Amino acid sequence: MSRKSVLCKFFAHGACLKGDHCEFSHDWNDPQNNICTFYQQGACAYGSRCRYQHVKVSRSQSSVSNHPQYLQSEPILAGHPSGASSVVTGHASGVTTDSSLSSRSLLPTDKQPWGEMVGQEVISDISHIRERSCNPADRPICSLAATGHCHRGEMCPHIHGDLCPTCGQHRLHPFRPQEREDHFKSCQRSQKHLEALMHSDEIECSVCLERVLSKPKAAERKFGILSECDHPFCISCIMNWRSSSPSSGMDVNSALRACPICRKLSYFVIPSGIWYSSKEEKQEIVDRYKSKLRSIDCKHFDFGNGACPFGTSCFYKHAYRDGRLEEVVLRHLGAEDGQTVIVKNIRLSDFLSNLQIR
Amino acid sequence: MVDLARVQKELQECNRDVEVSGIRVSPKADSLTNLVGTIPGPLGTPYEGGTFKIDITLPDGYPFEPPKMRFATKVWHPNISSQSGAICLDILKDQWSPALTLKTALLSVQALLSAPEPDDPQDAVVAQQYIREQNTFVNTARYWTEAFAKTSSLGVEEKVQKLVEMGFPEDIVRSTLEAVGGDENLALEKLCSA
Repeated sequence: MSRKSVLCKFFAHGACLKGDHCEFSHDWNDPQNNICTFYQQGACAYGSRCRYQHVKVSRSQSSVSNHPQYLQSEPILAGHPSGASSVVTGHASGVTTDSSLSSRSLLPTDKQPWGEMVGQEVISDISHIRERSCNPADRPICSLAATGHCHRGEMCPHIHGDLCPTCGQHRLHPFRPQEREDHFKSCQRSQKHLEALMHSDEIECSVCLERVLSKPKAAERKFGILSECDHPFCISCIMNWRSSSPSSGMDVNSALRACPICRKLSYFVIPSGIWYSSKEEKQEIVDRYKSKLRSIDCKHFDFGNGACPFGTSCFYKHAYRDGRLEEVVLRHLGAEDGQTVIVKNIRLSDFLSNLQIR
Repeated sequence: MVDLARVQKELQECNRDVEVSGIRVSPKADSLTNLVGTIPGPLGTPYEGGTFKIDITLPDGYPFEPPKMRFATKVWHPNISSQSGAICLDILKDQWSPALTLKTALLSVQALLSAPEPDDPQDAVVAQQYIREQNTFVNTARYWTEAFAKTSSLGVEEKVQKLVEMGFPEDIVRSTLEAVGGDENLALEKLCSA
């Protein structure tokens, strides 16, 4: 199995630092390497509880495997660096240290690109690496220098990155403009998030009078943003209020669905881990929330088997089993009193009620 | 369940600026669901100078349900029952909001004292009087304030002297006053019925 056709595990978690230079595939259509390397070697301590597949793969399928230790053991699949490392962390450490030590001693000294993460990776094609290293854009960034000090200094085979003004680390690759740009963006995003979090930390819920982000239960440390006004509440308080049964004379729209402070009517509440400081930020939170819900199938619609009471205003996805989205044709009926009534399906009740359809 | 953490916070908050607002809330016994609030009568009204006690009971759903409030001090007002002390105020009923607190609710009650709503009365007799004989209303309200809302301002000795002047023996007056917690009106009632 070629590496390029195996989905990168780091990419799958949204955290591959190598970008275009990753030797694994960044295409969601490619399968993930889900095979347990410990099972391959003979014994997996997790047994049937292992998250990885317990299958034997013949040696013909493995592309990289001239490491002596691997030769001694059962035939294995090409070591996926990320897969191997995540398996290692989850498994008994005895095996890990053995193999990583021996593999390190055999590794060419100029190829340890991703520090600990790829300690398991077995690279045999030294000439290939040398050739690659000639082009500075192909040389990976030095992770030691990025986080602090690289003792190899000028002798380091890896590129020492430029200083990123936002995170203050040497993480900008001098010869990969795309990667620089990506890092720059993600760094600024996380910086912004951190600032927002600091700002949100101060904010109190007006109902329980507690700081929302310091509530005792982790699940309650969330804001409930009202769509129409900017008063802060924690999600549990505002949902509790909106779902409380109206006492006598209480109107659902003017009392329960209104903001407890300014009494402005809001039709929905958006949960959010952070509070916003500008209109644009609020819109961004709302849009993100809505797009997330749009990807979830509506349980009322139930792939066309059920009827969703929210109809076209539903935030969830209305799609049939074959992936086709629901198409709604709204019919505008002129009522006798001159008003227009919008109906979805023709129901007997349309005719039975005193609504007169022209 | 009543959100006790919130009630505790409210009490602290309320007692912090008691000098400014004059509004006090304190627990009746050990439980935080039965409280007593006191509000000063608003200046420029017949209630000026009086201190009004309000019984507060927090329902299980508080703060998502309004607190139950009732005047413990007798008061002459179109929107407050002269018999039971029941208060007719929208925010204590259908206009309640969880963002309101005991202090803000008591402030609203205080505002109600200075701005009666005779068109939406709780006590029809008082409301009638308010509409037809404004002067009599003001006089009655002032008299009730003097009689019922000012007792606590008098010292114990003054109360004793007042009751002794009415013809009761001093030692009985003292023991009765002690028994009713210093309320001279209650003491008078007890002395008369004894």
